[in-house]
Amino acid sequence: MTPLLLFPAALGAVVTLALPLAIHLSRRSELRRIDFAALRWLSARPRPRTRLRFDERLLLAVRLLLLALIALWLARPAVEGATDETPWVAVVPGASNAVVPPGAHGVWLAPGFPSLDRPAPGGPIAVSSLLRQLDAELPRGVRLTVVVPPEITADAERLHLSRAVVWRIVGGFMSSRRPTAAPPNGLIIRYAGGREDAARYVRLAAAAWQAPGHAPDIDIAPASQPLPQTNWPLVWLVPESVPAALLDRVQHGDTILLDVAATTDIAMDTAWADAVGKPLVMSAALGRGRILRLQRRLGSRAMPELLEPDFAARLASLLAQPSPAPTRVAARNVAPTADGPAYTPPAQDLRPWLALLIAAVFFVERLLASGRRVRVTA
Amino acid sequence: MSGIGAHASRNRGAGLEFAQYRAYEPGDEVRQVDWKLYARSERLFVREAERESPLTLWIVVDASASMAQGDAARPGWSRLEASKLLAVGLAELALAGADRFGWIVPGERGIVAAPADGRRQRDRLRLDFAAVVATGTFAVTDLGLLYERIGTHDLVVVLSDLFDDAVVAMMLRLAAARRDVSAIQILTAEERDFAFAGGHHFVDPETGSEVVGDGPAMRAEFVRDFEAARKALSARLAAGGVRLATHFLDEAADAPLRALFGSTLR
Repeated sequence: MTPLLLFPAALGAVVTLALPLAIHLSRRSELRRIDFAALRWLSARPRPRTRLRFDERLLLAVRLLLLALIALWLARPAVEGATDETPWVAVVPGASNAVVPPGAHGVWLAPGFPSLDRPAPGGPIAVSSLLRQLDAELPRGVRLTVVVPPEITADAERLHLSRAVVWRIVGGFMSSRRPTAAPPNGLIIRYAGGREDAARYVRLAAAAWQAPGHAPDIDIAPASQPLPQTNWPLVWLVPESVPAALLDRVQHGDTILLDVAATTDIAMDTAWADAVGKPLVMSAALGRGRILRLQRRLGSRAMPELLEPDFAARLASLLAQPSPAPTRVAARNVAPTADGPAYTPPAQDLRPWLALLIAAVFFVERLLASGRRVRVTA
Repeated sequence: MSGIGAHASRNRGAGLEFAQYRAYEPGDEVRQVDWKLYARSERLFVREAERESPLTLWIVVDASASMAQGDAARPGWSRLEASKLLAVGLAELALAGADRFGWIVPGERGIVAAPADGRRQRDRLRLDFAAVVATGTFAVTDLGLLYERIGTHDLVVVLSDLFDDAVVAMMLRLAAARRDVSAIQILTAEERDFAFAGGHHFVDPETGSEVVGDGPAMRAEFVRDFEAARKALSARLAAGGVRLATHFLDEAADAPLRALFGSTLR
């Protein structure tokens, strides 16, 4: 436990100690002129004392203390290596049977590391990140036990910590958002003359996304009709060059599926291939949205996949936003290793406590300075 | 020795002392008719009382520069202010006894007000004294004026700090000339206690002479000497037939009046 100053140059502020000294000194040295008619009976023999003296010494002492404390506060005092050897037990929310041995410090593995006495925190928990933070903040030599359910959410990086961690896997379940791709809420279909059949295939597939009894939100119309202001995916069955207005929609986050004969100069990758690997749909990211293009005419002869039972789901997953990467992992597979870098634990800042002390001393100073006092000088 | 409130035999007041009978005239109050005399003489006579105030009070206020001195504990409350208050108190006492009173403020712009009675006289006193400022030294340029104005057996009350020997000499001469002289010495609390801390320049406001000294070191000697001087003055005045009361600025102002003239305010 080493006390230290993070900004020792601020100790120069102690020169301000001269200020209260001067204030309390100056009152003494001056001689007041006083009208005194009974001068006849006054003998001038005793000279005024000129020795260095201070008025109101208690107030002076409090003021000096106050200034010294402020100078110390500016110098940012801290203590380093204030090691508390109490072992820590971090429990991932959701782990059952979390038993904390007596004398250990039990916390939830959640932002802020709340105590286990509090209810389990909700919300998404980044286990790996929190573990790295806890490992970096705990002083070296503190034993850490992590209680985890069988499955946790983790990031792609393996856990390399600075200490050997007791990795205790218990029962329980860690709730998290499952990576699911919901089908779009609705669909806009615009078709040119001669593409009515293709539009019907798409409409029927989209109708299959909807729950039974729920009217499908499908806006199907010839290409001349204006587009509604929604963020539904658009199926553009027009064998012509793609209008700039459509590309602008894609730039702003829309998804658009183009006709096989639509022309665009955007390079695309295969998004769906048939059984022999020939592309059925190609796609590319454009701005915040995506652009897809059919590679065959929509018809049972050119594209027999239309008749497969999973065509509706395929179309939904193509038009839906890409699903997040899976993050759930078996806890036994991500047990941390002790080969990570060690950090110097941060010095504990003493300024908040010092600020409290300064406030208390200031209060006392105000009490002494503004309270009633005997005016000694006439 | 007579004084305000203790001279009932000399001040009879209206309707108390019979003066004369005169014939009834229309307009006289019926209750003033002497009915016993009417029963004897069958004529209507009216009892008439002559009202006179044989007592005259002179208030002499010292307005020299030393009277401007006050206590630091009560700024603005000088000896002169206390004198004005005491003068008004004396005027009220005279008013209560229906006595005539006048005032003299010696000095370069001195004031001499002829004695009279009534509330207007009191109001004139307040008006006159509002303009008085303490400056200069005590100077009775024309002592003969005092003898001329202040009649024998007149009551004279001097309000002063009595530091100036001219004041004391004047009072003794007035007393020797059979005037009834009283003095109220007005002193500050600092002159009594000398509660000065630290070094000070003490300046005499009249002579301008200075004494530099440390308050606590000077205290004992000053208090002793000042007490002795007051005792000596008191003895000197008593020997000369002058009554003395002392008023300190931090004390009640009616105490010296009670000490001099008793507590019964008619």
